[in-house]
This record gives sequence, structure tokens and C-alpha cells, in this order.
Amino acid sequence: MAEQPLETEEPGTDLPDGLVPPDEDALESADDSDGLMPPHKEPESSGRGGPVLLRERYLVDSGARLPEFDQPSAKAYAVEDRRDLANKVFALVCTPGVPVRMDDIIAFRTMDFPGVLALIEWEVVPWPPLGQSAMVVIYEKPLGGRVIDRLRRKDVRITEYDVPRRLTEPLIEGLQALNEKIGPHRALRPDNLYYLDEDMEEMVLGPHVTAPPGFDQPADFEPIDRATCQREGRGTGDIRDDVFALGVTIIHIVTGYNPVAKVKPENLIHQRLENGSYTALCGNTRLPLPLIEPLRSMLADDPAIRWNHTEVNNWVTGQKTNPVKKMSSPRAEVPFRFRKREHLTLGTLAWHFAQHRSDAVRAVQSDDFVNWIKRYPEGNATLETIRGAVQTAKFHTESYQGSDDYLVSKLSNILDPTAPIRYKNLAFMPDGFGPLLAVHWGVKGDPQEVAQLLAHDIPGLWFSSRDKLNKPLLDAQKNFAKLKSLLAINDPGYGLERVVYEANHGFACMSPLIAKNHVVVIEQLLPALEQAANSADTSSRPIDRHIAAFIASRFDQDIHPHLKALAAPKEDTSIIGMLSLLAFLQWKLRAPSMLALTSWVGGLLGPAINAYHNRHTRDQLEKEIPRLVRKGSLPEIFNLIDDAEKRQEDGEGFRAAQEEWLQAEEEIRDIEGAGEERLTKAERSGQQAAATISIMLGLTVVSILLVMEIM
Amino acid sequence: MAVGNATQGGKDWSKVLGMGTVMVLLAIFSLPTLIVLLPGMLPTGVAKVCDRTEQGYATFCVGGLNLCGVFPYLMKLWTDDHSINAAANIISDIFSILVMYSAAGFGWMMFMAIPPVVSAFLTVLAQRRVTFLRTLQEDIVTEWGPEVSIIDNTDSAPPPAKKRG
Repeated sequence: MAEQPLETEEPGTDLPDGLVPPDEDALESADDSDGLMPPHKEPESSGRGGPVLLRERYLVDSGARLPEFDQPSAKAYAVEDRRDLANKVFALVCTPGVPVRMDDIIAFRTMDFPGVLALIEWEVVPWPPLGQSAMVVIYEKPLGGRVIDRLRRKDVRITEYDVPRRLTEPLIEGLQALNEKIGPHRALRPDNLYYLDEDMEEMVLGPHVTAPPGFDQPADFEPIDRATCQREGRGTGDIRDDVFALGVTIIHIVTGYNPVAKVKPENLIHQRLENGSYTALCGNTRLPLPLIEPLRSMLADDPAIRWNHTEVNNWVTGQKTNPVKKMSSPRAEVPFRFRKREHLTLGTLAWHFAQHRSDAVRAVQSDDFVNWIKRYPEGNATLETIRGAVQTAKFHTESYQGSDDYLVSKLSNILDPTAPIRYKNLAFMPDGFGPLLAVHWGVKGDPQEVAQLLAHDIPGLWFSSRDKLNKPLLDAQKNFAKLKSLLAINDPGYGLERVVYEANHGFACMSPLIAKNHVVVIEQLLPALEQAANSADTSSRPIDRHIAAFIASRFDQDIHPHLKALAAPKEDTSIIGMLSLLAFLQWKLRAPSMLALTSWVGGLLGPAINAYHNRHTRDQLEKEIPRLVRKGSLPEIFNLIDDAEKRQEDGEGFRAAQEEWLQAEEEIRDIEGAGEERLTKAERSGQQAAATISIMLGLTVVSILLVMEIM
Repeated sequence: MAVGNATQGGKDWSKVLGMGTVMVLLAIFSLPTLIVLLPGMLPTGVAKVCDRTEQGYATFCVGGLNLCGVFPYLMKLWTDDHSINAAANIISDIFSILVMYSAAGFGWMMFMAIPPVVSAFLTVLAQRRVTFLRTLQEDIVTEWGPEVSIIDNTDSAPPPAKKRG
């Protein structure tokens, strides 16, 4: 079945020149981790080390690594608080290309949560080991170190009797407080728990803002729907996903090891889909009896019946709880064999089909599959839906709707409506689309597949396959509609660039001009452009598609008129649009004088100046601009260039001059064009004059003779 | 009616009739005058025949000065001896005929010489106007740029004619 290329024109599918790609292997290693061992990788060193000052207070030593505080997506470094040397803090340097949880960072900095490691400060600073700027987050240093390290060294012991009070209670308090103010943590795992004090009394949740939700989590710690997604597409989720991770964390800490460490990831997913996460993740481990029901309730795959924080609190405080009963999911009596793997449930089949799409399309049309699914509980109805989808695909053989990828995406929704959105090699939750696109673009350098699924409305297929949509899903559906409409517009400030920044508030601008500056918030943009002005090719414009989209998504003012002008086909209008947008930014953000940027922009104003017809006005503007460039004021340059009164006078004057020129031209043409006629007329005039003179002479002679005769 | 006077062949029969009446009346009441006028104004008659202008400028030009040449002899005839004999003497006098015809010839010369002079004068005036307008256009282009001279293609004005050498 035919595959169609994406209809939209996709600019910039590669990493920008200035961006240093993150260590993808290091990122991937997080997924392979058993959750017990933190990644101990040395930092990338493409530049020289040295101290970096953050907010003029925190001195981050790029040569002093603190691997015990590393996150899979961020390296930890020693920090000295220059105002309070007794203040123990450390820094996490985030990976460029991976979006951070910016909203959480901003909110977290102003709040204090019990049970959560405090975020003290953040800033984007030049980071010598990477040779570019990076997001650095300052955290309170947990003096007791990592919980899992202490457990390994047997400095502390947590028994099944300590689990509710010493482990679960502080964590669920932290999760609850965080959830009420900011959102779910989504980075709860054994190696991200710390003791705040040296006495190891106070356990806290570790950092969670350095990567998208669930990004740093091993798949075991994610509920099954999110575990089958790519880690960048796991989505924000809610506190029930944190409760799931808490359950897995309890198992690991109580048993002292990962019960499924030796199981291959794909086999574990298969087992979790087939037998449920609790059964699969516990394996043959003997869990303490009092923990079995709470853990089964926390690890329930159906989020609707999984314990929430209230139920966990009830359990911790010894109140009455409502444990989840062991429920058996529908399954076939005989397995269906697909690519050497036997399937008893539709869930595993949908997951496996998505990995082998061409084979899947053949398989669903085979007699074996038809016979198997007919015997599956309520399989006839499913079979009819599948047949309808296959027929529809055959009807659209010439379009993307007839492709195997599209059909298998549909089949996945039909077979397992609780599964994530699947398309080609992608699998993600609706609330994980933003990070999915950002990581595919920022890290892997190819956003095509993600853009294609949005253009082909694959999320729409997923939403339509669900029986009912709760509020978060309805919001996600609206968000997808908005993103799709943004994608469909190809002007600067829209398109895929706008989609990626709109869907990721913590994703740095990827424009090659400022990629090294790692611009995450709008206030950083003009200083970054000011810096870029010293090294960039000043014949190019300081606003490209990435920067326009970044401004459109991060600037809280209406800039549609500016974007419209920027997209104008006439160069002078486009230049004025660019100038007006930058001037508006400088004015609204109260940015200081921008000498280099103003000089850069001033050098590009030729077409805008030439938009004035009057040469004297042009000369006047050209003389005036250098003076304003020296002031570094874009608004003043804009006011000079786009003076409405001056422009109106110029336009009116030009029209009058055109009219005058035309009249002169017509008169010249009349004079020159009517040559023969004019000569004839002149000759006739001459003849008339001759006749008149002759008659006058005749009359004069007659009169004189008559008078003489009379006298 | 004026329209009715113009008849077949383009000839204005009313004028012919009028002229004929004048001639008959002159022949009846002033035959000597007619004897002098007929040969004396002969160049005017010839000019009338040759005149290709619609308004008869050649006839008027020749006729006006021809009359200057004839009128002194008519005055002499009218004041001295208004007889056929005196008229015949005037007509037969080669000097009087020379005066009459020279005056007519001078009229014809005027008709030949004055139109080119007038035409040349008007051409100079037109060229000066064109020069002035061109200078004005150049000033406009200097101030507003060449785009000011871009004329819409829908303009029906003919292209500029080449200047005459």
C-alpha cells in the first residue's frame, strides 16, 4: 500500500549548525538501566573546563563532577554559594536538545515542597565542557546522599515494616504537594531518592525538571501504556503514574534488587501486557504479605482502578483501604503466532503489530488470524471493524490513508484502545507529543515522522477510537487540533517550528544563529541575537523560521501583524515586519541597548528605505540611521523608518509626481507624435497669414488712393 | 439655402450666378471698368483655378495684391475719362499691365514664402516646449526615482515618436 510523503514543506530537518548534539548513547542508557545504578559517565568535553557564575551568586565548577547526583539526562557538578558558603548546593547541567520542564522550574523556584529536593535557582549559562550554553539548575544538596547507595552500603535498612512510614509516607506527601501546585513528579525511582540530612531521617524525591516527564525513567517504572511508548513520548500523566512508580520503587527497595533485571525489555513488555504489570514486574519474587495488596493496587494497569495518593495515604496511616482485586483480562484459548511470538491477548498483538507493519497487514488478512479472532471473546465485532479498516485502506491505495503505517495505526487502536498512539516507529501518549517532537528534532535531527503523524491526523484516529474522553484527553484533542492548524500554515512564525515551541515550553530555540546560546525563555533572545550579531553573516536576516516561531510561542503579546508583514512577498514589507517585531520585543521586554543587533538590522534596511520614493527622504533616513544605530535602539529605528505621516506624504507626493510626469509625457507625445499634422497646421497658418497680409495691403492701397483722390 | 446652393459637380452655382450678374451689370453700366478689370485681375482668376486650399488663401493672397496693382488704373479711369477708349489704352499699355501682374506676382510670392517661415517658427516653439517638459521629467525622476515614469501597460497612449532631424 502506497506511502505518501508529507505534504507540508519541512524546513530545517537537521540539527542546526551551532548545536552540539547530546550524547544519545548516554541518554539511551537510561532505558537499559535497572533503575538501581545511576549513570556514571564523564561529561562531554568539547571545550575547556572552569568555573561558571550563575545569577552572580552560584559558582559552578565545571571540573568538579558529582556523579552521585547525576540524572540520566543531566550531569551534576559542585557549586559554591558565594553569598553563603555554608549553603550546600549542587548543579545539574541539562542536556541541550532535550526539553526541560520549564513551567515546573519557574514554579518550583518560588515554592517549597516537603518531601521534594528544593530547587534553588536556574539559569542558562555558557558551559565550557559542551562548548555552548546549557540550562543549569541549582538544587539543595542532600547531605545523606542517594538512598539506594546507602542501602547498598548497609548504612541504613528499610524493612517491609518501615515501608509505609519511612519510605511511602514522605514520598507520597512530596508527590501530593507537588501535584497540587505543579503537577506529577514522573521521575520517581530508587536512584532518584535522597536523604536530606546526614542522619538519614528525611527522605526526599530527587530532581525531576531536567527532562520531559518519564524521560529518565526505566520502562519498568512506567505504567504499561506509557512503558510501551518511546521515553520522550511518555507524557505528563498524573499522580497515579507516580503512584505506579512508587509501587515499583517499593518492590526494588524491599527486595533489594530488580526482580526483572534479567528479563529482556521486549519480553517484559509482552508479559506485562499479557499478565498485568504487577505479576510481570514481581516475577517469582516473594513479597512480604502486608505489601502484596497495596502493591497490586498501586501497580494496577487500569488507571481508573489504580490507587491514587488518597488511597496510598489511607494505607500509610492505617486507615481502611480499598485494594484492587485480581482481575483476569480477556484472552484467547489458543495463541496466535506472529513473527515467532505467541499472543493470547489483543494488547500484545497490537504492540507487536506496530513493530512489523507490513507483516501485520498481511497477518490480519490471513485465515489463521480470522479464525483466531473469531474465537476470541467478542472477537467477531473486532474482526468486522478490522475488515472495515482494511477495506478503507484498499480504497485509498494512492494516498497515505492506504499505507501500511496508517492502517496498522488504526489496527492498534482497534485491537487495544488503551494503547498509546502508534504510527510507524513512534509510540506516544497524547500528552507526550511535544517532547516526542522536540527530542526527534533536537537530538535525532529528524522531525519528519512526527510531523507526518500530525499532518495525517493520527492522533485524531486514536481519539475517535476511544469510547469516552475525559477532560485531559479532551484538552489534548483540542491541543492537537491547534497544533495541526499551526502546522498547516507555512509562513514564518508557523509551521513545524511553531508546533515544537508551542508544545514544549522548555525547548531551546534551534535557530543556527543562536543555537549555542540555548535560548529557552523570550528574555534571552535579544541578548543572544546581540551576541550572534558579532559573528553571524550580517547579510542574512536575524529572524529565521525558528526565531519567528519561538517568538510567536513564547512572547505573550499579539504579534500577528508583525508576522504577517514578515511573511509578505515584498522584501521591503518583510524587512519592516522583521524590524517591527524586534523593536516590539526590545520595547516590551525593556531590553537594554543592542548596539550590534541594531547595526545588523540597520544594514538590512536598504529595501525598507528604498520603499520611500522620494530621494531626499531616503538620503535623510540614511544619514539618520547611523546615529540611531549608535544608540542601539530598535524602536527608534522603527519609528524613523515606518513613520506613518512621512510614508503618507511620500505616497501622495509620489502619486502627484507620477501624474505630473505622465501629463508632461502626454504633452511631449502630442507635440512629437503629431508631426505631419502640426506641419500642415503651420503651413495653413502661414497661408492664412499671407492671405491676411495681402488683403490688408490691398485694402490699405485702395483706401490711400481713395483718400488721396478725395483730398 | 446654403446647402441647396451647392449643386452637382461641386460648383457653387449661386456664386457663378452672382459673378455673372455683377459682370452683366458692369457691362451694362460700367463697361470700361470691366474692360480694365477682366485682363487686370486675370492672375487672380488663375490663382483661383490653381488654389488647392479649402479656404482659398492663394486666391485671397494673389487677389489682394493684384487689386493693389489694378486699383490705381481704375481710379484714373473713374476720375479722368470713363470711356471704352481710355480703358483700352490702359489695357494696351504694357507698363500698366506689368504693374498689375507684378503686384499679383508679389502676392503669389508672399503665398509661397510666408507659410514655411511660420511653420519653422512654430516648430521652434514646439521644440522649446518639449525641452522644457523633458527637463521637468528629469527633475521629477531625480527626486522620485525612475519608478515614477513607469506607465501602466493599459495606457493607450502611443509610444514616443522619434524626433525629427
